[in-house]
Amino acid sequence: MLRRIEKWLRAAIDETVDRALVRMVRDPYVESTAEMMATTRKVGGVNATEIMMRAAQGSPVPRPLGSPLHLSPWEKLLFSPVHLCRFPTPENVPIDTAVTIGPRARRPLTVAIPILIAGMSFGGALSKKAKIALARAATLVGTATNTGEAGLLEEERAAARLLIGQYNRGGWLNRPELYRRLDAIEIQLGQGAQGSTPQRTSARQIGPDFRQVFGLAEGEDALIHSRLPGINSQEDFVQLVRRLRDETGVPVGLKIAATHHLERELAVALEAGVDFITVDGAEGGTHGGAPTLQDDVGLPTLYAVARARDYLARQMATGDVSLIAAGGLITPGQMLKAMALGADAVYTGTAAIMALIGDQVTEAVPFEPPTSLVVYTGKLTERLDVDRAARSLQRFLNACVTEMEQVAVTLGRTALRDIDRSDLCALDPVLARATGVQLGLVAPDRQHRLFPELDPETLPEPLPPTGPGVGRPLSLEEVH
Amino acid sequence: MNPEELKTTCAYIASELSRIETVAGTLAMIEREHYNTLNRFDHRELLEVAVEAQSAARQLGMVKHVCAELVQRVADLQKAIERQGGAGHAPAH
Repeated sequence: MLRRIEKWLRAAIDETVDRALVRMVRDPYVESTAEMMATTRKVGGVNATEIMMRAAQGSPVPRPLGSPLHLSPWEKLLFSPVHLCRFPTPENVPIDTAVTIGPRARRPLTVAIPILIAGMSFGGALSKKAKIALARAATLVGTATNTGEAGLLEEERAAARLLIGQYNRGGWLNRPELYRRLDAIEIQLGQGAQGSTPQRTSARQIGPDFRQVFGLAEGEDALIHSRLPGINSQEDFVQLVRRLRDETGVPVGLKIAATHHLERELAVALEAGVDFITVDGAEGGTHGGAPTLQDDVGLPTLYAVARARDYLARQMATGDVSLIAAGGLITPGQMLKAMALGADAVYTGTAAIMALIGDQVTEAVPFEPPTSLVVYTGKLTERLDVDRAARSLQRFLNACVTEMEQVAVTLGRTALRDIDRSDLCALDPVLARATGVQLGLVAPDRQHRLFPELDPETLPEPLPPTGPGVGRPLSLEEVH
Repeated sequence: MNPEELKTTCAYIASELSRIETVAGTLAMIEREHYNTLNRFDHRELLEVAVEAQSAARQLGMVKHVCAELVQRVADLQKAIERQGGAGHAPAH
């Protein structure tokens, strides 16, 4: 009986596909569904979907997890293993993976691995269970997690041995009794996926636990302003940093979306005396942001890290001010390349969430997206097994760091923080020039074949460092 | 506490920190060995323990790192005490 049904089905499908193919090739293009293939190729599958979503909703489409565009050409940078010119690290020598954030602070933050969990807020982005799982995983591997733009979630504080809190544009963590309970303070002025755009979470999406943590009245929306409340000039920002450093003693940093104004932003941050800087590249994720802000705004992470490190070096701030890279760092290779370009540590968000869900994805698919297990408004948040999720993320982070250690061994390094630009080569001349990494297409002593200005015989004397930290003091302009 | 006692306390803290640093390094090595041993088995639960051993080794590495930094801070403190002590004994002008 079954075989007969199968035979009949096969015949029906065969006949239908035959007819469809014949119609597709014989009908004029404009009358054929084949038109969709060419159109989708032109417009792009994601864009086609979002055109229809915009048409249906009439408002920006809150796309989750950031831009699908790959703006940082990480694949054009490769590490250079050693064999004889320098020897690989013997396998019995441990690779030091610990990193200190804000070494100048009275109470610096030292983590066992250079991967930190990115700021993803309770309520605005994630469920309470997801935040607790992230905190537990971070504690298991000896790293820090980040509150995101939220209030202080007691359960997260209890689960996280090291907690970085965002002094945020919503003002929800900006009170001394809250920020004094943090292990580092990150002043959040923007993010890669949204720039400094204001964001609003409607009261109808805010439950009692959200209201309590954020200190909101019933019916009140949660609003993230474009500016930090009370900070309307560079001088205000300088005073804020100094006050937070004096009051708490923990590292106080600045998080911004990476942009072409990067150096000017960093000049103010250095003037204020920040302990660390987080540059969030254009590939940064978010729980839901307008596609235009995600795809068309900012600076790719790779260039942002290289520029920030160059600037810190020119200001002689390297070693005093830590640099944290964020935005679209998905693989351990990308994370390590960001560190080689100058980051002291990296944030991971999207990859951490995917690892957190891990094999619990089967609870959601095929009828719900995997993120419905972890986002605050998700339908399946109660189904997330917190312990299983924490273990899953712990294994992911462990695997990532082990892969980084393997690269360190083949580079002949004994600490991840010792890996630098000299361990890389670039496959693209422009990238090589932009990042200060040697071009892999020609020998180190023949770089001037492609870059005549690097000819050792014509190289000018290096210029003395310039900038606000050296020479004339920075003028603190009013922001209008 | 007088400056001499402070100096002695700082020396004691520095010495104990160095001892903790050494112990952390040794324990980290042992945890790494455990990881290598456990990783030879094709058993899910043992592999879970192996991951924990590796995490423990890295965190002990971090303890070592922190100890080294604290030793440096204590040394700075000792220098400051010595400077203050020296200034205290300097003739007034």
